[in-house]
Amino acid sequence: MSDNRATQSHKAKKLIERMSKKLNRQMVGSMAACVHCGMCTEACHYVLTNPDDPTYAPAYKADRIRKIFKRHFDWTGRVLPWWVGAKSIKTDAELEELKDIVFGKCTNCRRCSINCPMGVDYATFNRMARGLLVSVGVMPEGVAVVSKDQWEIGNQMGVLKEEYIDTLEWMSEELSDEMDDPEAIIPIDKMDADVVYSINPREVKYDPRTIADAAKIFFLAGENWTMPSEGWDMTNFGLFSGDDDLGGAVALRLYEKVSELHGKKLVISECGHGYRSTRCEGPNWSAHSVPFEMESSVLTMLRYIKEGRIEVDKTKNNVPVTFHDSCNNARSCGLFEEPRELLNLVVTDFREMVPNRSENYCCTGGGGAMSMTEYTPQRLKSAKIKADQLKATGAKIVVTSCHNCVDGLADLIRHYKLGMEVTQLVNLVANAVIVPEKIAVEEAATAEKPKEVAVEHSLEKFKILVVDDEDDIRLYYTVLLEDNGATVIQASDGEEALKLAKSEKPDLITLDLNMPGKDGGEVFEQLRKDPGTAQIKVCIITGRPELRRLIYNRPVPQPEGFLDKPVDDSRLLYDIRKILEVG
Amino acid sequence: MPEQKKIQNCELRLIQQDITDFEVEAFVFYAQPNLELGAGFGSAITRRGGQSIESELKEIGSLSVTEAAVTGGGNLKAKYIVHAVGPAFQEEQIEEKLHTTILTALKKAEEKEIRQIAFPPMGAGFYGIPLDASREVMMRAFEEYLSQGGKMEEIVICANDAREYRAFQSAF
Ligand code: SF4
Ligand code: SF4
Repeated sequence: MSDNRATQSHKAKKLIERMSKKLNRQMVGSMAACVHCGMCTEACHYVLTNPDDPTYAPAYKADRIRKIFKRHFDWTGRVLPWWVGAKSIKTDAELEELKDIVFGKCTNCRRCSINCPMGVDYATFNRMARGLLVSVGVMPEGVAVVSKDQWEIGNQMGVLKEEYIDTLEWMSEELSDEMDDPEAIIPIDKMDADVVYSINPREVKYDPRTIADAAKIFFLAGENWTMPSEGWDMTNFGLFSGDDDLGGAVALRLYEKVSELHGKKLVISECGHGYRSTRCEGPNWSAHSVPFEMESSVLTMLRYIKEGRIEVDKTKNNVPVTFHDSCNNARSCGLFEEPRELLNLVVTDFREMVPNRSENYCCTGGGGAMSMTEYTPQRLKSAKIKADQLKATGAKIVVTSCHNCVDGLADLIRHYKLGMEVTQLVNLVANAVIVPEKIAVEEAATAEKPKEVAVEHSLEKFKILVVDDEDDIRLYYTVLLEDNGATVIQASDGEEALKLAKSEKPDLITLDLNMPGKDGGEVFEQLRKDPGTAQIKVCIITGRPELRRLIYNRPVPQPEGFLDKPVDDSRLLYDIRKILEVG
Repeated sequence: MPEQKKIQNCELRLIQQDITDFEVEAFVFYAQPNLELGAGFGSAITRRGGQSIESELKEIGSLSVTEAAVTGGGNLKAKYIVHAVGPAFQEEQIEEKLHTTILTALKKAEEKEIRQIAFPPMGAGFYGIPLDASREVMMRAFEEYLSQGGKMEEIVICANDAREYRAFQSAF
């Protein structure tokens, strides 16, 4: 059945055991189909920069994995191992050698895959081999660090929740200042948004301007959008480490958060592996059917311009630019025409690099290579081909829709002293977008915003119970609602609210969540469970959106509305009128 | 909705919560033999808890798999951290070792008069123990500890996300 198991290390045994579970039809096809024609060789940037070293050839690297497959899972290798080059893996030292090949000599860029006439997808089984090694704890230190951060903190860069929220609030203030409009904000955990925007933790840690730029575009487009407080990382290190469990767990956090917010569409900021993981691979890894649409922010921005929701002036970006296709976006997901269309709308001088689209060379920092510092010298050496390709364009700026590529390119640009800048489409669009005069901004915003209540007594027929433990908030709601004709009754705690709901039978209850004694969640469940109050409409108003969990997990129908404090007059009246179906 | 049940006189609860940001007497950190805090929860402990935790760990040095040590919680909401060195990555006799690690963690906590302790899904996630196996071993270890006179009054399982939470719900 196998080589002498007695001489095999425990890790090697476990690796082979797990390999049997990971082999699917596509993988077995790729293992078996290679005819060693060598056509993939010239496709690989490692080979092109190390022409005298045969160990970089895709087929050579593939054979290190293939021989284990043949020895244990292919009948020819079991019967005639010497004939077909089958050989098991036995020692921990051999596992380390395999690690240096699958992590250090391949970025999983798939350029060889698309150049193979036999359809061998080496990158796929290179990824599988990575996953097998990770499962026995054999991985580069950087892979361990990033994986652990994503498993336990929820994002690849270990950004803590408070740091993320602080950054969003900071960017939100910047936006309000820039637009000179208090309504220009980054809404966090807003329910029922048309767009839920997810980002790469690199944006929080190193490049918050991309968050502010995206926020500016959403605001000017009049989008009903939000960013989630948790489950916001759309990157997925499972794609790089080969750990499908991590891939599934990360994707699920994101999907479940969007569903919890009742978001209509998940927009993924510019990141190649994030896009591929979230949109293409995540549903498989997580075995979850995603009930909403997902799109790259490139398509979102392009649509805003085409639909006239934002206007741009391309002369604001008049430096020569070129575009780098991320391997994951272009080769694996076919996203290469839309970024060009968008680019041509926002820059005056766009120059293609050659080759491009699905034939483009890897940034050489792909597949998680930027986190594996032990391989930096060979990575930068292999980047020579990319450096030459960039230089030949004569461009001053290289644009890419991938955060990983931003880092990979910036590093090789520094190393080869190319004097180029790296940027993303979101930055160029934000720079080119025309910000209407203040008056125009206000008009545009009002058109998308709740309309002011024209008829003063529009709530005349309605009785509203306001529940909040803070006196001044109750007073504010009461005065506003009474001014608009409603009959208002008040409760300052949960018990009183339940009593008044039963005796007064209001048409609507505004309910605070965070109250001493019975919290809003318990009050809500009791209201819904009591047939005498179950039909009363409820609008949750909270200053702590995370407390909404107190509501979601209850086995009763959801409230009719959610609002975040602080609430302004027009938003409160708009939502209440909507819930009561007035006007 | 938090799940809870009683085992002997101990309240067992399941919640979804970042364990390093949880107000509890002590929580368990799944440590490695060199006791370095490292990435993930370890990084959150370092950044939220301050330097004192690392200094205490340096004094202790290193431990073997299944051993545990207690440090203060520094500036964290928890008063103590139980650093329990658990098995990892499909190593030999992984479930037996995990079981012993949990018992050691509880014993070490008791020595500090700790009566309320939070556990993550032990060994799940990065260290590769499947969630179902983690749950089974944890529940078995808790039952054994409590049936043999364990003094813990409350044990809280902190699931890091909804997926982990669902995996532990069947224990309630
Ligand atoms: S091109 Fe395909 S068949 Fe030819 S050597 Fe490469 S992997 Fe093998
Ligand atoms: S996937 Fe890319 S880096 Fe890896 S062998 Fe193929 S061409 Fe080379």
